[in-house]
Amino acid sequence: MRGLLSSKAAVPWLFLGPVVVFAAVFFVLPVVFAAYVSLTTWDSLTPPRWVGLANYQYLFATDPIFLRTLWQTVYFALGTLALGVPLALGLATVFGRSRHQGAWRVLYTLPMVTNIVAIGFIFWFVFRQTDGLLNRLLGLFGLPGPGWLTDPSLAMLSAILVFVWMELGRNMLLFAAGLASIDESYYEAARLDGAGRWQLFRFVTLPLLKPTVLFVIVTGFISGMSYFTLMLVLFPGTQGGPGRAALTTGQYMYQMAFEDLRMGRASAVSYVLFALVLVATLVQLRLLRRGGVEARG
Amino acid sequence: MARGIAGLGGACLALMGGAGAAQEARTIQVATHYTPEQAAPLEACFDAFEAANPGVTVEHQQTAYGDFLQTILTSRVGGTSPDIYNVYSVWVPQLASAGVLEPPPADIAEFVAANYAPATQGAVTIGGQLWGIPTELSVYALVYNKALLAEAGYTEPPKTWAELREIAQKITRVNDQGNIDVGGYAYGTTVAEGVHPFYAQMFAAGVPPFAEDGRSTNLTSPEAVRILSDQAALFADGITGNEIVVDNFVSNAVGMQIAANWNKFGYQEAYGEAFADTVGVAPIPTDGPGGTMLYSFLWTVDAASDVKDDAWALLRFLSEPREGGLSCTGEAMAAMGAFAGSDADLAAMTATADDFDRAFIAEVTEGRAVTQPNVWQASEVDRILRGYIDQAWSGGMAPADALAAADAEIQAILSEQP
Repeated sequence: MRGLLSSKAAVPWLFLGPVVVFAAVFFVLPVVFAAYVSLTTWDSLTPPRWVGLANYQYLFATDPIFLRTLWQTVYFALGTLALGVPLALGLATVFGRSRHQGAWRVLYTLPMVTNIVAIGFIFWFVFRQTDGLLNRLLGLFGLPGPGWLTDPSLAMLSAILVFVWMELGRNMLLFAAGLASIDESYYEAARLDGAGRWQLFRFVTLPLLKPTVLFVIVTGFISGMSYFTLMLVLFPGTQGGPGRAALTTGQYMYQMAFEDLRMGRASAVSYVLFALVLVATLVQLRLLRRGGVEARG
Repeated sequence: MARGIAGLGGACLALMGGAGAAQEARTIQVATHYTPEQAAPLEACFDAFEAANPGVTVEHQQTAYGDFLQTILTSRVGGTSPDIYNVYSVWVPQLASAGVLEPPPADIAEFVAANYAPATQGAVTIGGQLWGIPTELSVYALVYNKALLAEAGYTEPPKTWAELREIAQKITRVNDQGNIDVGGYAYGTTVAEGVHPFYAQMFAAGVPPFAEDGRSTNLTSPEAVRILSDQAALFADGITGNEIVVDNFVSNAVGMQIAANWNKFGYQEAYGEAFADTVGVAPIPTDGPGGTMLYSFLWTVDAASDVKDDAWALLRFLSEPREGGLSCTGEAMAAMGAFAGSDADLAAMTATADDFDRAFIAEVTEGRAVTQPNVWQASEVDRILRGYIDQAWSGGMAPADALAAADAEIQAILSEQP
């Protein structure tokens, strides 16, 4: 034993041991257990009963809601990226080189440090149909007041808008860091070649910022795919907004597990979501690697 | 040697004494979703029970309602479950089937049979088996704003749905942006706020939502389709909408709604001294024989408890009528604006009740209220139904189609039960 402890080879393992044990117990074990549970019916009170792939079959062949939530989740994740990434990039480009950097940084870090529940409640008041701030504003111009949170066709869009605002600061920060790392000599060379502002952005900034753009997209997509806290606050008491229009797969999984006690189905949902995010991430990482090579080139 | 024997004897006595003391010192853990303020009357009764039963300690564990079921599950898995739960009756089928709950002993069954109305007993009975003692009783009725009805020219609440629709139409006011400022009628956003009024209307129409054995539904009955069609018509005609919900009642923005008695505190807080002159209660409007829905919480004992006898004794102590007033449970319920289900408690409450409470209590004591069906996977069933009700309200599905789809899904769930 003493020999083992004094062995140089054992030292790294001694240091790593607690972390490995922690990761095994709190990360690996639940993932493996969830895989097993997804192949059973289990209410968490009685022993699990093996059903093979029946839960997966149910989700894709029988469940009238699951595929809809999957589509809504992808729509939410892609919608936040489609609106949020160009907006953050544009703002970071405009303000990144402006004066008063400190003031700008305070402004765009605010959403990052504000509690999600507070954000949700504030926007809940902004979006209220009859007496919300936004509709009152529209009313001043004689415009109709849509049901931002009560109309099934607008509910998810409203959630996307709020999430874009929430993520804006983080994305701007990443883009600002990316912009700061671009050497000024590239711009000087391009200017000597007669490049205008748009051409500088298109042919210098954007290619060199590609790794950052792809990082923001990968992490934003993963974040959007698993997110549902905002929906709980924006659509309180509902089962995912009006007519379930803002029900995401994550929230549906939660309902299955902790309201219906269908742990097997919920675990199957988690694995489908995991597979989807994994595939999307692998694709994006492949693009990211390409982006990195191109950027260096 | 003698000292050794004496020492051994002393040790044996000490051990015996210790064992005796350990046997006498018992702790009963009681889990409820009531806040410390709400549970104060119960805590006082716990103290009284401890005083009357030396060696017994009662501990109260408070858990938020939203987390209550999860807490039961987690504590069961962890082997730390409390001895007594105050649970919502619709959770009982799953909990009982999983062996979590202990059936009450004969004396408790007799006590419940002798002291509670049949509908209230029904709320805590699954498949003929009683599972505990009723606690918090909630009843549904039509709640209306007297001032808004008067403004529209009505002094009496509607008796039929056609009357309700007529009055609601006259109350409704739409603003310049096309949104409802004052709704003649309102529903809520939660599952219960859509499904419970629907069940209440079905009972009023004389058709229970589920078959008596809980294995099939009556959702495709003509009465159910008509009720949902009538509800959808309120949305289609702009008499109600998603922008106006039951929560708006307290701001004079809703004429009528089907609501439970426990909303009283919210109304009182909003209207203050004007409460009695503003808020009225009436039976559910219907063309049928009349009726409504009630649901109950119940005191139950965990099957794994090692102090079951003490636990049942405590529950009986909490539920027994006290001279000249409410039981311990009744006192706690009254303090939070709810009803306790025993005949004695309801009689005591009626004696001091205002018009609001009296109207709700009458639904129970006069036998019009029928218990919410404690069907298998009730929460999931209600959520599915609410989803299809929403579809019908929004015009996404015809009411008959929505109910047929709900019936098919719910039927599949009901067929899972043992």
